[in-house]
Amino acid sequence: MRKTFQKWLFLFVVVAFIVTFCISFSIESRQAKGNAVGLIRLKMEDARKQIVVNRENIATVRSIVDAAALAKARAFAKIVALQPSVLKRGEELEDIRRRLDVDELHVSDERGILIADIPAEYIGYDMAASEQSAEFLAALHDPNFALVQEPRRKGISGEMFQYAGVARTGTPGIVQIGYHPKRLQAAVEVADIANLSAGFRIGKSGKIIVGEAGKIVSIDNPAFLGKSLKEYGFSDKQLRRGESEFVANLQGVRYLCLSSSYEGYKLIGILPLSEMYVGRNEMGLFLVVCNLILFAVVFALVSVLVQRVVIDGIYSVNRSLERITQGDLNERVEVKTNNEFVALSEGINSTVTALKEAIAEAAARIDAELEVARAIQRSSLPGAFSSFPGRDEFDVYATMGTAKEVGGDFYDFFLIGENRLAVVIADVSGKGIPASLFMMTTKTLLQNLTEAGASPERVFSEANKYLCENNEIGMFVTAFMGILELDTGRFTYVNAGHNPPLFRKAGGRYSWLKSPPGFVLGGMEGTRYRERELLFQAGDRLFLYTDGVTEALNLQEELFSDLRLEETLNADVAREMDVTTLLKHVQSEIDRFTDGADQADDITMLGLEYKGKVKG
Amino acid sequence: MVVTQKREEKHLVLTLEGRLDTTTAPQLEEVLKSSLGGVTHLTLDLAKLVYVSSAGLRVILGAQKQMSKLDGMVVKNVNETVMDVFEVTGFKEILTLE
Repeated sequence: MRKTFQKWLFLFVVVAFIVTFCISFSIESRQAKGNAVGLIRLKMEDARKQIVVNRENIATVRSIVDAAALAKARAFAKIVALQPSVLKRGEELEDIRRRLDVDELHVSDERGILIADIPAEYIGYDMAASEQSAEFLAALHDPNFALVQEPRRKGISGEMFQYAGVARTGTPGIVQIGYHPKRLQAAVEVADIANLSAGFRIGKSGKIIVGEAGKIVSIDNPAFLGKSLKEYGFSDKQLRRGESEFVANLQGVRYLCLSSSYEGYKLIGILPLSEMYVGRNEMGLFLVVCNLILFAVVFALVSVLVQRVVIDGIYSVNRSLERITQGDLNERVEVKTNNEFVALSEGINSTVTALKEAIAEAAARIDAELEVARAIQRSSLPGAFSSFPGRDEFDVYATMGTAKEVGGDFYDFFLIGENRLAVVIADVSGKGIPASLFMMTTKTLLQNLTEAGASPERVFSEANKYLCENNEIGMFVTAFMGILELDTGRFTYVNAGHNPPLFRKAGGRYSWLKSPPGFVLGGMEGTRYRERELLFQAGDRLFLYTDGVTEALNLQEELFSDLRLEETLNADVAREMDVTTLLKHVQSEIDRFTDGADQADDITMLGLEYKGKVKG
Repeated sequence: MVVTQKREEKHLVLTLEGRLDTTTAPQLEEVLKSSLGGVTHLTLDLAKLVYVSSAGLRVILGAQKQMSKLDGMVVKNVNETVMDVFEVTGFKEILTLE
């Protein structure tokens, strides 16, 4: 039971553990993903804001730079109008350029041909000749003309260069300044989209990748700059999506990705799954350890508690019940660990007490009934040995010590007419009431047949026939019978499977009267019994007995045995005893031998002494 | 007493060990009652039987009677003590001893 209980408890705990773990794991996973998506989204939002801020910065710087450039151009136009002579004097012009902090100064005539320049090599250049300078030609006809051109990359260094120009004051022509817009260039450089990725790390190793027309324009690793997003590991399908999250395998690492489009850029925020789940995994490990400890404690506690409260009690009750089953009705169940066991214990105890009383009652009743049966059996046997008053030719005596159970032994002796004495000893197979009834039948049969005058062998044959016919339970009886003719001493006897008797010639020793016996009475139909004869002379004795004598057991389970019986009968002390005394002596020897051991079988003996024909 | 059964088709061999008396005879009777179905030949091996009482003889006689209507019963390995009982009671004459 304990095993079963522990098995189920263990199963339950394991299932509870797994379920708890799975639920926590799933919640943690979802939360981790949610957190990660939130984090990426936040960073991307920041990145978008950064792009806006950068653009605004550039616009602001541009407007300041433009305003300053126009102011300088106008100032230069004013100087040229007030002092046209400066156009002829290169040093003065150079001085003005330095003061204006610009790189180039150009002044054209009414046809757009440059007439004064720093650097001087441009003099005579027709502004219509290039697209860039042609933009300013409108100033020849519009005195209010003012233009700041888009910055251009110039030279090998790719530095920015910008031109601003206005119409000449008072005379048609163009005044133009050229300069490096350093602040604007700095602002643009700062705002370069390529720098975006470096400014926005997501978590520890997540980042933002910016693509433009399928090419990477901003990424932490410069090696991938200019490469296509597909080359980096995104699939077409992933790139086609709108704002959405997905998992992509990039350069051998799995990332959670969030993409969004903004102003022609493709912003993709990525965070390694391992980092996204680092919290969940730590939490999971913590949970596993905590749960293992918790469930181990629960398992142990419940196990111990059940062991102590239930199982020990049950074992104790079982032990007691086993002792009770084995017959110890004095055993009491004393399990008091809880109310249920107290009730159970009391229930069992009262049942056992009731059982004990019922058994005692039944035993008393059976004892009484058996006592009646024994009394009936005993009363059917000849008991008063003064029943042959005046008969001096013989001396006969018999004893029967019954065992606790009603047995099937019996003896008998009776006169047939004046001259013949019959002696019988017999032992019915089995014990109890059936055996004693069978015994009564046999005894009556034998006596009736004998008294009717039949010979011993005929008596046995007839009795056997009758007993076989009415013998459903397969009982049988071993019997020895003899008839002594009192005038002649002729003894005719027959044996049906019984222990042979011992015979003693006057003054001699007892020895067995061995002869092949017939089969037991009631055993087999048609059994033939053969009569034998013996001649008694005065003083000759016959000792009949049942196997209860030789098979009496002592405490060491030794048999009294044929040998002890023979020794007892032939002992010097027994030599002069009459048959009555002899039988009592044998009984006392048996008692001495068994020394209080339980008597298992009836002990029956019959002694007969022939005293000879009465004279006269 | 210990009764060991060995069945070979219609032949049953019972080996008796210990004492066959009033207490143990019902045990043998029960074995015979439950195992003799379809058995035509019965062998009792008494090599280890140390004692037989009249109650035991009764069961043996019952088996003998039952089997005599079929192919019979053989009693084998009878030791001296038990043989004495068989002799005294006349069982020696009615049993098939081997």
